[in-house]
Amino acid sequence: MRSKRTILDAVLDRSTIVALIAVLVLVAFVMNAFAPPVFVDVYTYLCVSLIMVLGLQMFMGNSGILNWTYVGFVGIGAFVASICSTPAAVKAMGVPNMYPALVEINMPVLPALLIGGFVAAAVAAAVAWPLMRLSDAVGVITLFAALIVIHVIMTQWDNVTNGPRTFFGVPFFTTLWIAVIGACITLVAAHLFRESSLGLRLRASRDDRHAAKAIGINVVAVRYFSFVASSFIAGVGGGLWAHYITSFSPKSFYITEAFLLLTMLVVGGAGSISGAFSGTVIVTVMRELLRQLEGWLNNSGVISFEVYGLTEVSVAILLIVILIWRPGGIIGGSEIRLPFARKK
Amino acid sequence: MLTVTELQASYGAITALHGISLEVNEGELVALLGTNGAGKSTTLKSICGVLRPVQGSIEFAGESIMNKKPESILKLGISMVPEGREIFTSLTVAENLRLGAYTCYERSRYQQDLKEMFALFPILEERLSQPGGLLSGGEQQQLAIARALMSHPKLLMLDEPSLGLSPTMVDNIFELIGMLRDRGITILLVEQNAERALKVADRAYVLKTGHIEFSGTPAQLEKELDIASVYFGGSKDKSSEVTL
Repeated sequence: MRSKRTILDAVLDRSTIVALIAVLVLVAFVMNAFAPPVFVDVYTYLCVSLIMVLGLQMFMGNSGILNWTYVGFVGIGAFVASICSTPAAVKAMGVPNMYPALVEINMPVLPALLIGGFVAAAVAAAVAWPLMRLSDAVGVITLFAALIVIHVIMTQWDNVTNGPRTFFGVPFFTTLWIAVIGACITLVAAHLFRESSLGLRLRASRDDRHAAKAIGINVVAVRYFSFVASSFIAGVGGGLWAHYITSFSPKSFYITEAFLLLTMLVVGGAGSISGAFSGTVIVTVMRELLRQLEGWLNNSGVISFEVYGLTEVSVAILLIVILIWRPGGIIGGSEIRLPFARKK
Repeated sequence: MLTVTELQASYGAITALHGISLEVNEGELVALLGTNGAGKSTTLKSICGVLRPVQGSIEFAGESIMNKKPESILKLGISMVPEGREIFTSLTVAENLRLGAYTCYERSRYQQDLKEMFALFPILEERLSQPGGLLSGGEQQQLAIARALMSHPKLLMLDEPSLGLSPTMVDNIFELIGMLRDRGITILLVEQNAERALKVADRAYVLKTGHIEFSGTPAQLEKELDIASVYFGGSKDKSSEVTL
Protein backbone atom coordinates (compact mmCIF):
# COMPACT_ATOMS: atom_id res chain seq x y z
CA MET A 1 0.00 0.00 0.00
CA ARG A 2 1.42 3.32 -1.01
CA SER A 3 -0.71 5.27 1.40
CA LYS A 4 0.95 3.65 4.39
CA ARG A 5 3.93 5.59 5.58
CA THR A 6 6.59 3.65 7.39
CA ILE A 7 9.55 4.99 9.29
CA LEU A 8 11.68 3.81 6.38
CA ASP A 9 9.70 6.03 4.03
CA ALA A 10 10.17 9.00 6.30
CA VAL A 11 13.94 8.45 6.34
CA LEU A 12 14.08 7.95 2.59
CA ASP A 13 12.00 11.09 2.08
CA ARG A 14 14.71 12.95 3.88
CA SER A 15 17.47 11.00 2.21
CA THR A 16 18.45 13.97 0.07
CA ILE A 17 19.03 16.15 3.12
CA VAL A 18 20.82 13.36 4.97
CA ALA A 19 23.11 12.86 1.97
CA LEU A 20 23.86 16.58 1.66
CA ILE A 21 24.72 16.76 5.35
CA ALA A 22 26.92 13.68 5.03
CA VAL A 23 28.80 15.28 2.14
CA LEU A 24 29.30 18.51 4.09
CA VAL A 25 30.64 16.73 7.18
CA LEU A 26 32.78 14.28 5.24
CA VAL A 27 34.45 16.99 3.19
CA ALA A 28 35.00 18.95 6.40
CA PHE A 29 36.89 16.00 7.92
CA VAL A 30 39.01 15.66 4.81
CA MET A 31 39.72 19.40 4.72
CA ASN A 32 40.55 19.45 8.40
CA ALA A 33 42.99 16.57 8.11
CA PHE A 34 44.75 17.05 4.80
CA ALA A 35 44.01 20.32 3.04
CA PRO A 36 46.16 23.46 3.19
CA PRO A 37 44.72 26.46 5.10
CA VAL A 38 43.60 28.14 1.88
CA PHE A 39 41.20 25.28 1.18
CA VAL A 40 39.91 25.36 4.74
CA ASP A 41 39.21 29.06 4.34
CA VAL A 42 37.36 28.56 1.09
CA TYR A 43 35.35 25.73 2.57
CA THR A 44 34.41 27.75 5.64
CA TYR A 45 33.35 30.58 3.38
CA LEU A 46 31.32 28.13 1.29
CA CYS A 47 29.47 26.87 4.35
CA VAL A 48 28.65 30.41 5.49
CA SER A 49 27.45 31.25 1.95
CA LEU A 50 25.35 28.09 2.01
CA ILE A 51 23.58 29.27 5.16
CA MET A 52 22.76 32.57 3.47
CA VAL A 53 21.62 30.96 0.21
CA LEU A 54 19.41 28.46 2.07
CA GLY A 55 17.79 31.34 3.93
CA LEU A 56 17.21 33.05 0.60
CA GLN A 57 15.77 29.83 -0.81
CA MET A 58 13.28 29.58 2.05
CA PHE A 59 11.45 32.68 0.91
CA MET A 60 12.45 33.27 -2.69
CA GLY A 61 12.55 29.67 -3.84
CA ASN A 62 9.22 28.76 -2.32
CA SER A 63 7.36 31.98 -3.08
CA GLY A 64 8.85 32.77 -6.49
CA ILE A 65 9.38 36.39 -5.45
CA LEU A 66 12.80 37.79 -6.32
CA ASN A 67 14.10 39.01 -2.96
CA TRP A 68 16.66 41.76 -3.40
CA THR A 69 16.27 42.97 0.17
CA TYR A 70 17.69 39.74 1.58
CA VAL A 71 21.32 40.89 1.64
CA GLY A 72 20.19 43.95 3.62
CA PHE A 73 19.02 41.63 6.39
CA VAL A 74 22.36 39.82 6.19
CA GLY A 75 23.94 43.22 6.85
CA ILE A 76 21.65 43.99 9.78
CA GLY A 77 22.52 40.63 11.34
CA ALA A 78 26.23 41.21 10.76
CA PHE A 79 26.23 44.66 12.38
CA VAL A 80 24.00 43.73 15.31
CA ALA A 81 25.95 40.58 16.14
CA SER A 82 29.27 42.40 15.81
CA ILE A 83 28.16 45.28 18.02
CA CYS A 84 27.02 42.78 20.65
CA SER A 85 30.17 40.67 20.67
CA THR A 86 33.00 43.12 20.04
CA PRO A 87 34.83 44.25 23.23
CA ALA A 88 33.94 47.77 24.43
CA ALA A 89 37.49 49.06 24.14
CA VAL A 90 37.74 48.00 20.49
CA LYS A 91 34.39 49.58 19.67
CA ALA A 92 35.30 52.83 21.44
CA MET A 93 38.42 53.05 19.31
CA GLY A 94 36.96 51.75 16.03
CA VAL A 95 33.62 53.51 16.03
CA PRO A 96 34.29 56.90 17.65
CA ASN A 97 30.69 58.18 17.43
CA MET A 98 28.96 55.08 18.72
CA TYR A 99 26.13 55.58 21.24
CA PRO A 100 27.58 54.89 24.73
CA ALA A 101 24.82 52.36 25.43
CA LEU A 102 25.92 50.30 22.44
CA VAL A 103 29.61 50.55 23.37
CA GLU A 104 28.88 48.98 26.75
CA ILE A 105 27.17 45.90 25.32
CA ASN A 106 29.40 42.88 25.44
CA MET A 107 28.38 39.25 25.28
CA PRO A 108 29.54 35.88 23.98
CA VAL A 109 29.29 35.35 20.22
CA LEU A 110 26.55 32.71 20.20
CA PRO A 111 23.83 34.85 21.83
CA ALA A 112 25.08 37.77 19.75
CA LEU A 113 24.41 35.78 16.56
CA LEU A 114 20.88 34.94 17.72
CA ILE A 115 20.19 38.58 18.59
CA GLY A 116 21.44 39.52 15.12
CA GLY A 117 18.95 37.07 13.65
CA PHE A 118 16.12 38.34 15.81
CA VAL A 119 16.80 41.98 15.00
CA ALA A 120 16.90 41.20 11.27
CA ALA A 121 13.62 39.30 11.63
CA ALA A 122 12.09 42.14 13.63
CA VAL A 123 13.04 44.71 10.98
CA ALA A 124 11.62 42.38 8.34
CA ALA A 125 8.43 41.99 10.37
CA ALA A 126 8.09 45.74 10.67
CA VAL A 127 8.49 46.55 6.99
CA ALA A 128 7.28 43.46 5.13
CA TRP A 129 3.49 43.56 5.43
CA PRO A 130 2.90 46.15 2.68
CA LEU A 131 5.69 44.61 0.57
CA MET A 132 4.11 41.15 0.66
CA ARG A 133 0.91 42.45 -0.88
CA LEU A 134 2.81 43.23 -4.08
CA SER A 135 3.58 40.72 -6.77
CA ASP A 136 5.49 40.43 -10.02
CA ALA A 137 7.47 43.42 -11.30
CA VAL A 138 6.09 45.83 -8.72
CA GLY A 139 7.15 43.51 -5.90
CA VAL A 140 10.67 43.13 -7.26
CA ILE A 141 11.15 46.87 -7.69
CA THR A 142 9.85 47.57 -4.19
CA LEU A 143 12.12 44.97 -2.60
CA PHE A 144 15.04 46.46 -4.50
CA ALA A 145 14.09 49.92 -3.22
CA ALA A 146 13.97 48.51 0.32
CA LEU A 147 17.57 47.30 -0.10
CA ILE A 148 18.62 50.82 -1.09
CA VAL A 149 16.91 52.23 2.01
CA ILE A 150 18.66 49.72 4.30
CA HIS A 151 21.98 50.44 2.59
CA VAL A 152 21.65 54.21 2.96
CA ILE A 153 20.78 53.85 6.64
CA MET A 154 23.82 51.61 7.17
CA THR A 155 26.19 54.03 5.45
CA GLN A 156 24.79 57.13 7.20
CA TRP A 157 24.06 56.00 10.75
CA ASP A 158 27.64 56.29 11.94
CA ASN A 159 26.64 56.15 15.63
CA VAL A 160 25.94 52.48 15.03
CA THR A 161 27.73 51.21 11.95
CA ASN A 162 30.71 53.57 11.72
CA GLY A 163 29.12 54.91 8.52
CA PRO A 164 30.74 53.95 5.23
CA ARG A 165 34.02 53.24 7.03
CA THR A 166 35.19 49.82 8.08
CA PHE A 167 33.88 48.25 11.27
CA PHE A 168 36.81 46.27 12.62
CA GLY A 169 37.92 44.25 15.60
CA VAL A 170 35.10 41.70 15.51
CA PRO A 171 36.28 38.58 17.41
CA PHE A 172 36.99 35.59 15.20
CA PHE A 173 34.49 32.84 15.92
CA THR A 174 33.43 31.10 12.72
CA THR A 175 35.82 28.21 12.41
CA LEU A 176 35.44 25.44 9.87
CA TRP A 177 33.40 23.33 12.27
CA ILE A 178 31.14 26.16 13.43
CA ALA A 179 30.36 26.94 9.78
CA VAL A 180 29.71 23.27 8.95
CA ILE A 181 27.42 22.80 11.95
CA GLY A 182 25.59 26.01 11.07
CA ALA A 183 25.15 24.86 7.48
CA CYS A 184 23.83 21.45 8.60
CA ILE A 185 21.30 23.02 10.97
CA THR A 186 20.16 25.39 8.23
CA LEU A 187 19.81 22.51 5.75
CA VAL A 188 17.47 20.72 8.15
CA ALA A 189 15.58 23.94 8.90
CA ALA A 190 15.14 24.76 5.21
CA HIS A 191 13.92 21.23 4.52
CA LEU A 192 11.46 21.22 7.41
CA PHE A 193 10.21 24.62 6.33
CA ARG A 194 9.70 23.52 2.73
CA GLU A 195 7.67 20.50 3.82
CA SER A 196 5.77 22.30 6.56
CA SER A 197 2.21 23.49 6.15
CA LEU A 198 3.48 27.07 5.83
CA GLY A 199 6.06 26.11 3.18
CA LEU A 200 3.51 24.09 1.26
CA ARG A 201 1.02 26.94 1.24
CA LEU A 202 3.78 29.29 0.13
CA ARG A 203 4.66 26.98 -2.77
CA ALA A 204 0.98 26.77 -3.69
CA SER A 205 0.82 30.56 -3.82
CA ARG A 206 3.89 30.55 -6.09
CA ASP A 207 2.17 28.13 -8.46
CA ASP A 208 -1.08 30.07 -8.70
CA ARG A 209 -1.83 32.98 -6.43
CA HIS A 210 -5.50 33.17 -7.34
CA ALA A 211 -6.16 29.47 -6.96
CA ALA A 212 -4.41 29.57 -3.60
CA LYS A 213 -6.75 32.33 -2.48
CA ALA A 214 -9.74 30.40 -3.75
CA ILE A 215 -8.92 27.40 -1.57
CA GLY A 216 -8.59 29.61 1.48
CA ILE A 217 -4.88 30.39 1.66
CA ASN A 218 -4.10 33.85 3.00
CA VAL A 219 -1.32 34.55 0.53
CA VAL A 220 -0.12 37.79 2.14
CA ALA A 221 0.12 36.22 5.62
CA VAL A 222 1.89 33.12 4.32
CA ARG A 223 4.41 35.24 2.45
CA TYR A 224 4.86 37.53 5.43
CA PHE A 225 5.75 34.84 7.95
CA SER A 226 8.06 33.12 5.47
CA PHE A 227 9.80 36.41 4.72
CA VAL A 228 10.37 37.01 8.44
CA ALA A 229 11.69 33.45 8.92
CA SER A 230 13.98 33.84 5.92
CA SER A 231 15.28 37.15 7.29
CA PHE A 232 16.13 35.48 10.59
CA ILE A 233 18.42 33.04 8.76
CA ALA A 234 19.85 36.00 6.84
CA GLY A 235 20.67 37.73 10.13
CA VAL A 236 22.35 34.71 11.69
CA GLY A 237 24.23 34.03 8.44
CA GLY A 238 25.39 37.64 8.37
CA GLY A 239 26.60 37.36 11.96
CA LEU A 240 28.58 34.20 11.20
CA TRP A 241 30.07 35.89 8.17
CA ALA A 242 31.08 38.94 10.23
CA HIS A 243 32.77 36.73 12.83
CA TYR A 244 34.67 35.01 10.06
CA ILE A 245 35.81 38.08 8.12
CA THR A 246 36.22 40.22 11.35
CA SER A 247 36.18 43.59 9.57
CA PHE A 248 33.66 44.83 7.05
CA SER A 249 31.73 47.86 5.86
CA PRO A 250 28.17 48.43 4.61
CA LYS A 251 29.26 48.01 1.02
CA SER A 252 29.57 44.28 1.71
CA PHE A 253 25.78 44.12 1.82
CA TYR A 254 24.79 45.71 -1.42
CA ILE A 255 24.05 44.98 -5.04
CA THR A 256 27.20 42.97 -5.84
CA GLU A 257 26.62 40.60 -2.91
CA ALA A 258 22.88 40.44 -3.50
CA PHE A 259 23.61 39.48 -7.08
CA LEU A 260 26.12 36.85 -6.00
CA LEU A 261 23.66 35.21 -3.59
CA LEU A 262 20.92 35.31 -6.24
CA THR A 263 23.26 33.69 -8.75
CA MET A 264 24.18 30.92 -6.29
CA LEU A 265 20.49 30.20 -5.77
CA VAL A 266 19.31 30.49 -9.37
CA VAL A 267 22.17 28.52 -10.97
CA GLY A 268 21.38 25.41 -8.97
CA GLY A 269 17.63 25.88 -8.95
CA ALA A 270 15.73 28.13 -6.58
CA GLY A 271 12.88 25.66 -6.17
CA SER A 272 14.79 23.01 -4.26
CA ILE A 273 17.27 22.70 -1.43
CA SER A 274 19.56 20.49 -3.50
CA GLY A 275 19.47 23.27 -6.10
CA ALA A 276 20.53 25.90 -3.56
CA PHE A 277 23.27 23.55 -2.34
CA SER A 278 24.75 22.76 -5.74
CA GLY A 279 24.51 26.35 -6.94
CA THR A 280 26.44 27.55 -3.91
CA VAL A 281 29.15 24.94 -4.49
CA ILE A 282 29.43 25.63 -8.22
CA VAL A 283 29.60 29.41 -7.90
CA THR A 284 32.01 29.34 -4.95
CA VAL A 285 34.41 26.94 -6.65
CA MET A 286 34.21 28.86 -9.89
CA ARG A 287 34.88 32.18 -8.17
CA GLU A 288 37.91 30.83 -6.34
CA LEU A 289 39.39 29.28 -9.48
CA LEU A 290 38.84 32.47 -11.47
CA ARG A 291 40.34 34.56 -8.70
CA GLN A 292 43.45 32.37 -8.78
CA LEU A 293 43.55 32.61 -12.56
CA GLU A 294 43.17 36.38 -12.44
CA GLY A 295 46.02 36.65 -9.93
CA TRP A 296 48.22 34.41 -12.01
CA LEU A 297 47.49 36.30 -15.23
CA ASN A 298 48.30 39.64 -13.62
CA ASN A 299 51.48 38.49 -11.88
CA SER A 300 53.06 36.12 -14.36
CA GLY A 301 53.28 38.58 -17.23
CA VAL A 302 51.70 36.16 -19.70
CA ILE A 303 49.59 39.04 -20.99
CA SER A 304 50.73 42.60 -21.30
CA PHE A 305 47.69 44.22 -19.63
CA GLU A 306 46.02 43.67 -16.27
CA VAL A 307 42.70 41.88 -15.94
CA TYR A 308 40.09 42.92 -13.43
CA GLY A 309 36.59 41.65 -12.73
CA LEU A 310 37.11 38.29 -14.40
CA THR A 311 35.12 36.60 -11.61
CA GLU A 312 32.19 39.02 -11.73
CA VAL A 313 31.88 38.83 -15.50
CA SER A 314 32.13 35.05 -15.50
CA VAL A 315 29.53 34.64 -12.78
CA ALA A 316 27.18 36.93 -14.70
CA ILE A 317 27.75 34.99 -17.92
CA LEU A 318 27.15 31.73 -16.07
CA LEU A 319 23.83 33.10 -14.87
CA ILE A 320 22.80 34.13 -18.38
CA VAL A 321 23.76 30.75 -19.83
CA ILE A 322 21.85 28.88 -17.13
CA LEU A 323 18.77 31.04 -17.54
CA ILE A 324 18.72 30.37 -21.27
CA TRP A 325 19.68 26.72 -21.08
CA ARG A 326 17.78 25.66 -17.96
CA PRO A 327 15.61 28.43 -16.54
CA GLY A 328 14.72 26.25 -13.55
CA GLY A 329 18.40 25.88 -12.59
CA ILE A 330 20.68 22.88 -12.96
CA ILE A 331 18.81 20.76 -10.42
CA GLY A 332 15.41 22.31 -11.04
CA GLY A 333 12.39 22.54 -8.82
CA SER A 334 12.26 19.08 -7.29
CA GLU A 335 14.82 17.56 -4.97
CA ILE A 336 17.39 15.21 -6.48
CA ARG A 337 16.50 11.61 -5.84
CA LEU A 338 19.28 9.33 -4.83
CA PRO A 339 19.67 6.05 -6.63
CA PHE A 340 19.05 4.05 -3.47
CA ALA A 341 15.94 6.00 -2.53
CA ARG A 342 12.74 4.12 -3.14
CA LYS A 343 11.05 4.98 -6.41
CA LYS A 344 7.53 6.20 -5.85
CA MET B 1 -28.22 26.36 4.74
CA LEU B 2 -27.00 29.02 2.32
CA THR B 3 -29.11 32.09 1.72
CA VAL B 4 -28.07 34.79 -0.70
CA THR B 5 -30.23 37.90 -0.68
CA GLU B 6 -30.21 40.77 -3.16
CA LEU B 7 -26.54 40.29 -3.92
CA GLN B 8 -24.85 42.92 -6.04
CA ALA B 9 -21.32 42.56 -7.30
CA SER B 10 -19.23 44.44 -9.78
CA TYR B 11 -15.82 44.47 -11.42
CA GLY B 12 -14.90 48.13 -11.26
CA ALA B 13 -17.55 50.06 -13.15
CA ILE B 14 -19.12 46.97 -14.64
CA THR B 15 -21.93 45.49 -12.59
CA ALA B 16 -21.98 41.72 -12.88
CA LEU B 17 -24.78 40.88 -10.44
CA HIS B 18 -27.86 43.08 -10.16
CA GLY B 19 -29.23 41.88 -6.84
CA ILE B 20 -29.72 38.14 -7.06
CA SER B 21 -31.28 35.94 -4.40
CA LEU B 22 -30.90 32.23 -4.09
CA GLU B 23 -31.08 29.51 -1.52
CA VAL B 24 -29.42 26.14 -1.04
CA ASN B 25 -30.92 23.76 1.52
CA GLU B 26 -29.04 21.05 3.33
CA GLY B 27 -28.49 17.94 1.24
CA GLU B 28 -29.62 19.60 -1.96
CA LEU B 29 -27.87 19.74 -5.28
CA VAL B 30 -28.62 23.12 -6.76
CA ALA B 31 -27.58 23.96 -10.30
CA LEU B 32 -26.80 27.49 -11.34
CA LEU B 33 -27.14 27.82 -15.10
CA GLY B 34 -26.58 30.56 -17.60
CA THR B 35 -24.47 31.74 -20.51
CA ASN B 36 -21.02 33.22 -20.39
CA GLY B 37 -21.15 36.46 -18.51
CA ALA B 38 -24.41 35.70 -16.78
CA GLY B 39 -22.70 36.03 -13.41
CA LYS B 40 -22.44 32.40 -12.35
CA SER B 41 -18.79 32.42 -11.38
CA THR B 42 -19.17 35.88 -9.86
CA THR B 43 -21.84 34.45 -7.57
CA LEU B 44 -19.54 31.63 -6.43
CA LYS B 45 -16.58 33.95 -5.97
CA SER B 46 -18.71 36.27 -3.84
CA ILE B 47 -19.88 33.39 -1.68
CA CYS B 48 -16.40 32.02 -1.03
CA GLY B 49 -15.01 35.48 -0.28
CA VAL B 50 -12.57 35.91 -3.16
CA LEU B 51 -14.67 38.75 -4.53
CA ARG B 52 -16.12 41.47 -2.33
CA PRO B 53 -19.79 42.04 -3.18
CA VAL B 54 -21.11 45.61 -3.26
CA GLN B 55 -24.44 45.03 -1.58
CA GLY B 56 -26.76 42.35 -0.30
CA SER B 57 -26.28 39.60 2.20
CA ILE B 58 -24.90 36.08 2.26
CA GLU B 59 -25.79 33.83 5.15
CA PHE B 60 -24.41 30.40 5.78
CA ALA B 61 -25.79 28.19 8.57
CA GLY B 62 -27.42 31.23 10.14
CA GLU B 63 -24.26 33.32 10.11
CA SER B 64 -23.47 36.22 7.82
CA ILE B 65 -20.37 35.50 5.75
CA MET B 66 -20.47 38.76 3.83
CA ASN B 67 -16.98 40.32 3.62
CA LYS B 68 -15.35 37.49 5.53
CA LYS B 69 -11.93 36.32 4.43
CA PRO B 70 -11.77 33.25 2.17
CA GLU B 71 -9.93 31.26 4.82
CA SER B 72 -12.59 31.93 7.48
CA ILE B 73 -15.34 30.98 5.03
CA LEU B 74 -13.49 27.76 4.26
CA LYS B 75 -13.28 26.99 7.96
CA LEU B 76 -17.04 27.46 8.26
CA GLY B 77 -17.40 24.65 5.73
CA ILE B 78 -17.70 26.11 2.24
CA SER B 79 -15.24 24.62 -0.22
CA MET B 80 -14.93 25.65 -3.84
CA VAL B 81 -13.53 23.91 -6.89
CA PRO B 82 -12.55 26.84 -9.10
CA GLU B 83 -13.15 27.01 -12.81
CA GLY B 84 -10.42 25.61 -14.98
CA ARG B 85 -9.28 23.08 -12.36
CA GLU B 86 -6.90 25.41 -10.61
CA ILE B 87 -4.72 22.74 -9.12
CA PHE B 88 -1.10 23.47 -8.30
CA THR B 89 0.81 22.09 -11.23
CA SER B 90 4.32 22.00 -9.76
CA LEU B 91 3.20 20.41 -6.49
CA THR B 92 2.67 16.68 -6.27
CA VAL B 93 -0.76 15.10 -6.06
CA ALA B 94 -0.10 14.32 -2.40
CA GLU B 95 0.84 17.94 -1.69
CA ASN B 96 -2.26 19.20 -3.48
CA LEU B 97 -4.40 16.97 -1.28
CA ARG B 98 -2.56 18.09 1.84
CA LEU B 99 -3.36 21.70 0.94
CA GLY B 100 -7.04 20.86 0.88
CA ALA B 101 -6.77 19.46 4.38
CA TYR B 102 -4.62 22.08 6.04
CA THR B 103 -7.54 23.46 8.03
CA CYS B 104 -7.92 20.19 9.90
CA TYR B 105 -4.81 19.24 11.80
CA GLU B 106 -5.62 15.76 13.03
CA ARG B 107 -3.14 13.45 11.44
CA SER B 108 -5.08 10.24 11.95
CA ARG B 109 -8.11 11.74 10.29
CA TYR B 110 -5.98 12.96 7.43
CA GLN B 111 -4.75 9.45 6.64
CA GLN B 112 -8.31 8.18 6.80
CA ASP B 113 -9.52 10.95 4.52
CA LEU B 114 -6.77 10.11 2.06
CA LYS B 115 -7.95 6.50 1.94
CA GLU B 116 -11.49 7.66 1.30
CA MET B 117 -10.31 9.83 -1.56
CA PHE B 118 -8.39 6.93 -3.05
CA ALA B 119 -11.56 4.86 -2.93
CA LEU B 120 -13.40 7.61 -4.79
CA PHE B 121 -10.55 8.44 -7.15
CA PRO B 122 -8.30 5.40 -7.58
CA ILE B 123 -6.18 7.20 -10.19
CA LEU B 124 -4.95 9.67 -7.57
CA GLU B 125 -3.37 6.93 -5.50
CA GLU B 126 -1.41 5.74 -8.50
CA ARG B 127 -0.16 9.24 -9.20
CA LEU B 128 0.41 10.35 -5.63
CA SER B 129 3.98 11.56 -6.03
CA GLN B 130 3.67 13.00 -9.54
CA PRO B 131 3.41 16.74 -10.11
CA GLY B 132 -0.21 17.79 -10.65
CA GLY B 133 0.71 19.32 -14.00
CA LEU B 134 1.45 15.89 -15.47
CA LEU B 135 -2.11 14.70 -14.93
CA SER B 136 -4.65 14.70 -17.74
CA GLY B 137 -7.51 17.18 -17.69
CA GLY B 138 -9.96 14.71 -16.23
CA GLU B 139 -7.49 13.57 -13.59
CA GLN B 140 -6.81 17.18 -12.66
CA GLN B 141 -10.52 17.77 -12.23
CA GLN B 142 -10.74 14.72 -9.96
CA LEU B 143 -7.79 16.03 -7.99
CA ALA B 144 -9.42 19.47 -7.67
CA ILE B 145 -12.63 17.90 -6.35
CA ALA B 146 -10.72 15.58 -4.02
CA ARG B 147 -8.74 18.53 -2.70
CA ALA B 148 -11.96 20.40 -1.95
CA LEU B 149 -13.43 17.35 -0.21
CA MET B 150 -10.39 16.99 2.05
CA SER B 151 -11.62 19.91 4.17
CA HIS B 152 -14.92 18.10 4.91
CA PRO B 153 -17.08 20.83 3.41
CA LYS B 154 -20.70 21.25 4.39
CA LEU B 155 -21.24 22.96 1.08
CA LEU B 156 -19.26 22.09 -2.03
CA MET B 157 -19.28 24.59 -4.86
CA LEU B 158 -18.25 23.35 -8.28
CA ASP B 159 -17.49 25.88 -10.99
CA GLU B 160 -17.89 24.34 -14.45
CA PRO B 161 -16.47 20.92 -13.59
CA SER B 162 -17.09 19.58 -17.10
CA LEU B 163 -15.32 22.41 -18.91
CA GLY B 164 -12.83 21.22 -21.50
CA LEU B 165 -13.16 17.52 -20.71
CA SER B 166 -13.68 14.66 -23.14
CA PRO B 167 -17.26 13.31 -23.38
CA THR B 168 -16.34 10.15 -21.46
CA MET B 169 -14.72 12.20 -18.74
CA VAL B 170 -17.81 14.45 -18.57
CA ASP B 171 -19.88 11.32 -17.95
CA ASN B 172 -17.52 10.27 -15.17
CA ILE B 173 -17.59 13.66 -13.52
CA PHE B 174 -21.39 13.83 -13.52
CA GLU B 175 -21.56 10.30 -12.20
CA LEU B 176 -19.26 11.41 -9.42
CA ILE B 177 -21.35 14.50 -8.68
CA GLY B 178 -24.41 12.28 -8.41
CA MET B 179 -22.51 10.01 -6.05
CA LEU B 180 -21.45 12.91 -3.83
CA ARG B 181 -25.06 14.10 -3.71
CA ASP B 182 -26.19 10.61 -2.67
CA ARG B 183 -23.67 10.76 0.16
CA GLY B 184 -25.52 13.79 1.47
CA ILE B 185 -23.04 16.49 0.51
CA THR B 186 -24.75 19.80 -0.27
CA ILE B 187 -23.63 20.97 -3.68
CA LEU B 188 -23.95 24.21 -5.60
CA LEU B 189 -23.09 23.41 -9.19
CA VAL B 190 -22.34 25.97 -11.86
CA GLU B 191 -22.58 24.56 -15.36
CA GLN B 192 -22.85 25.52 -18.96
CA ASN B 193 -23.85 21.98 -19.78
CA ALA B 194 -27.42 22.63 -18.67
CA GLU B 195 -28.86 19.34 -19.87
CA ARG B 196 -26.43 17.25 -17.85
CA ALA B 197 -26.65 19.48 -14.82
CA LEU B 198 -30.45 19.31 -14.76
CA LYS B 199 -30.34 15.53 -14.73
CA VAL B 200 -28.53 15.47 -11.37
CA ALA B 201 -29.94 18.65 -9.80
CA ASP B 202 -32.76 18.89 -7.27
CA ARG B 203 -33.40 22.52 -8.09
CA ALA B 204 -32.01 25.01 -10.55
CA TYR B 205 -31.56 28.72 -11.00
CA VAL B 206 -31.07 30.32 -14.38
CA LEU B 207 -29.00 33.47 -14.43
CA LYS B 208 -29.12 35.97 -17.25
CA THR B 209 -26.92 39.05 -17.35
CA GLY B 210 -26.80 39.33 -13.60
CA HIS B 211 -30.48 38.64 -12.89
CA ILE B 212 -32.23 35.46 -11.79
CA GLU B 213 -34.39 34.56 -14.76
CA PHE B 214 -35.90 31.40 -13.36
CA SER B 215 -35.88 29.22 -10.31
CA GLY B 216 -37.51 25.87 -9.65
CA THR B 217 -37.17 22.16 -10.17
CA PRO B 218 -35.71 20.76 -13.37
CA ALA B 219 -39.18 19.52 -14.38
CA GLN B 220 -40.68 22.98 -13.97
CA LEU B 221 -37.79 24.49 -15.82
CA GLU B 222 -38.28 22.22 -18.80
CA LYS B 223 -41.96 23.06 -18.87
CA GLU B 224 -41.72 26.79 -18.46
CA LEU B 225 -38.51 27.71 -20.15
CA ASP B 226 -36.94 26.76 -23.40
CA ILE B 227 -33.40 25.89 -22.36
CA ALA B 228 -32.04 26.81 -25.74
CA SER B 229 -33.44 30.32 -25.42
CA VAL B 230 -31.39 30.87 -22.31
CA TYR B 231 -28.26 30.16 -24.24
CA PHE B 232 -29.02 31.32 -27.74
CA GLY B 233 -31.95 33.73 -27.39
CA GLY B 234 -29.63 36.26 -25.92
CA SER B 235 -30.49 39.58 -24.47
CA LYS B 236 -30.02 42.82 -26.33
CA ASP B 237 -28.35 44.35 -23.32
CA LYS B 238 -24.79 43.25 -23.92
CA SER B 239 -23.23 46.17 -22.10
CA SER B 240 -23.46 44.50 -18.73
CA GLU B 241 -21.73 41.31 -19.78
CA VAL B 242 -18.32 40.49 -18.54
CA THR B 243 -16.17 37.57 -19.39
CA LEU B 244 -15.77 35.39 -16.40
